[in-house]
Amino acid sequence: MPAELDTIAPPPAPAVRALSCPACGSAVTLRAAGYSVTAGCPSCGSILDVADPLVKLVTRYAEMTRALDIPLGTRGTLDGIEWEAIGWLARSMNGSYPWEEYLLFNPYHGYRWLIFDGQSWSLGEQLTATPNFVTYDTLSAGGRQYRRFFKEREARVDAVLGEFYWRVAIGEQVITSEWAAAGWTLSREANAKEVSWSVARLLAPREIEDAFGVEAERHPWPPPPHMVSPHAGWLSTCVKLGLAAMAFLVVVSIFMGGGRWSDIGTLPIARDGSAQSVTVGSVTFGQPWQRVELRARVPGLENGWVDLDYALVDRSTQRVYEAYGVAERYSGRDDEGDWSEGSRTSEISIASVPRGTYDLVIDYRGNRWIANNPGSWGQSDWLATSDAPEVVVEVRRGGVFFSNLLLALILIAVPLLWGLARHVRFEQARQAESDFDPIGVAALFKESE
Amino acid sequence: MGLMIACPNCGADAVFRSAALPCRICDYCQTMLVRSDDGVRAVGEAAVLPFDVSPVTIGMRGMADGIGFQVIGRVRWAWTDGAWNEWLMLLDDGSHGWLGEAMGQFMLLREAPLKTARAKVLRDVINGGEAVPGTAAEIGGVKMHVADARDVLCIAAEGELPFTAPPGWRVYGVDLKGPGGECVSLQRDGGSATFYTGRYVTLAELAPRGLRRFDGWSLPDYAG
Repeated sequence: MPAELDTIAPPPAPAVRALSCPACGSAVTLRAAGYSVTAGCPSCGSILDVADPLVKLVTRYAEMTRALDIPLGTRGTLDGIEWEAIGWLARSMNGSYPWEEYLLFNPYHGYRWLIFDGQSWSLGEQLTATPNFVTYDTLSAGGRQYRRFFKEREARVDAVLGEFYWRVAIGEQVITSEWAAAGWTLSREANAKEVSWSVARLLAPREIEDAFGVEAERHPWPPPPHMVSPHAGWLSTCVKLGLAAMAFLVVVSIFMGGGRWSDIGTLPIARDGSAQSVTVGSVTFGQPWQRVELRARVPGLENGWVDLDYALVDRSTQRVYEAYGVAERYSGRDDEGDWSEGSRTSEISIASVPRGTYDLVIDYRGNRWIANNPGSWGQSDWLATSDAPEVVVEVRRGGVFFSNLLLALILIAVPLLWGLARHVRFEQARQAESDFDPIGVAALFKESE
Repeated sequence: MGLMIACPNCGADAVFRSAALPCRICDYCQTMLVRSDDGVRAVGEAAVLPFDVSPVTIGMRGMADGIGFQVIGRVRWAWTDGAWNEWLMLLDDGSHGWLGEAMGQFMLLREAPLKTARAKVLRDVINGGEAVPGTAAEIGGVKMHVADARDVLCIAAEGELPFTAPPGWRVYGVDLKGPGGECVSLQRDGGSATFYTGRYVTLAELAPRGLRRFDGWSLPDYAG
C-alpha cells in the first residue's frame, strides 16, 4: 500500500540537549515526592516549568518508571540466563481483566516476556514453530498438549514504557486466544499483519522473588489457567498409598481371620446354680500376638443365664488375661404373643495375647430367671428340666477386629476425601474462568443447572 | 548497544544505555542531557525501538548444517513499527545463505527457485496480490501458515551483498512458519520476486565465533 509505505521511516537521528537551571545555570536534578517527580535546581531552589516539553518528558518518564514493580533496567536470572527488563506494557481485554507484561532482553538470548496477572508471574517466549491441532480442542506445541481455555477476545495496550522490538503504542489491539496445560499456557495473538504464537511457564513465587525481587501470591484465587492443583500431587500419591493400605488391611483381616473353632471342653452345669470352676487346656497360640476368641454355647438354656469368667494363664510366665462373658436367653408370651430374646451363645475376645501355651480357667454359674408372674405361663426351670445342662466352650485364634478394620479404613479415607474435595474445589475455580465447559474432576462434580 | 553522544555542554561522550531513557547526567560536567529526537517523545504512549542490539557482526563465523560460514554483509529492513536484520553468509563450499534476525530469533535461509513457490498464497503474492496472515499453504510437503505480510523498507546495508540494497528500497514481504520450525520468505520487488526457504535456528546451534561484545553483558556459554 503506497500510503503505508510512506509511513515507514528510518529511525530518527539521535540528538540531545542540555537542560540546566534557567535561573542560575546549575545542573538540574530530579526530586520525587510520592509518585510525582519534579525537576529542580539544587543550587538556587528553582523548580523547572513542567510546561517545558523536555522537563515534561523527563518527569513523566521518571514518574512512570517509579510506579513499576520492576524498574526498567533491573536485571534478574531465570533458567540460568541473565535478563534485563527493558520495556513494560499494561494490557487488558478492552478495559477488563488487566495484566502487565515486562519485556526481558539478553543480547545473546533474545527476548522473553514476564507476565503478571495481579497474582502470579509467568515467563513467556514467542514460538518459532506453529502449533498443531491434535483434536478440535487440543493443540500440541513443543511436545506439550494444551487444551482450549479462552475464546478469541480483543486485547488492548493501555500503557507502555521503555523499549520494544516493535513500536507498540497505546490502543494497539490484537485478537488473543489461549490454551492451557499443567504449568503452561499457549496463546495466539493476531492482527491484520501478523499472527504470533507464544508459550508461558508459570513461575514459582520463589523463582520470581529470587530473580526480580517482586512478590507473588502463594495461593492465587481464582487460580490462573496453567496452575497445577496444589492438591493433585500429594492426593494422587496418597490415593495410591491409601488404596494399597486399605487392600492390605482387608487382605490381612481375611488371612488373619483366625483359625477354626476348637472344642476345649464340655462343662456340666450344677442344677442348684452354685459357682463352679474348671481348668481346661492346654491351648497353644503360635503367632507373636493374637486376638483370642472364646465361645460358650449352652444348648438347654431357657429363661436363665450363665456367667462365665475366663482367665488365660500363661504356663511359663503365669501372666493372666481375663475376660467375662454371659449367655442369656429369655422367652415367654404376653399380650402381643410369643417373645424371646438373648442368645444361648456367648462370644467374647481377648486382644493381644502373646505367643505361648495357656491354661484356661473358667469360673461359671448357671442362673434362673424368675418371671414376674411365675407359673402363669407354665414357665419351666431349665436347670431342672434340660437333661444334664452343660456349657460347651470353644476357642480360636481371632482375626482383626472388624470394628478396628472399619475405623482404620475410615481414618485412611477421611483425609483422602478431604483432599479430593479441596482438589475439586481448586479445579472448579480454575476452570470456572475458562470460556469452555469444565473437564476432569471439575466436570464430574459439576452442579446440574 | 547503547547510544554514545557528545555532551553539548562539555563535549565529553555520554552513553545512553537504553533507547527509552530520556535523560542522563553527563559524567563530567553534571549537566542533565535530555534526548531531543522523536525517538523518546511519546513516553507512556508508545514504545521506542532498541538501538542496534544484534549479537551478530560482520566477520562472525559459525557452522550451518555442518558447513562453516562467515558473515560478510547485512541488510537492515524496517516496517512501519519495527526493524530486522538479514545477514549474508558466505559458506565454505562457496555458496551463500542468509541469517535472518527478527525479534531476537534467527532463521537460516537459502534462496530457492521461484518456480518452487507453487502454493496459491505465494503465487498470488508473486502476481501482485497480498497475503492474509493465518492463511495455510503446503510448501515442500509441510503445512505452513502465513505469519506476517507487510511492506518493508531497506534502511541500511553494509559489507558485501549479492545485490545493491539502497536505503529507501521498498519491497512487499511474506513470511510463513511451519510446525517444525520450518520457514519460508517471499519478497516481491515490483514485478520480480525472490523466494527463500529454511528453518528457525538458535544462535547456539550455529556455534558462533566472534560474536559482538556488549558492555555489561558476559558472552554466553555457547560462544566458545
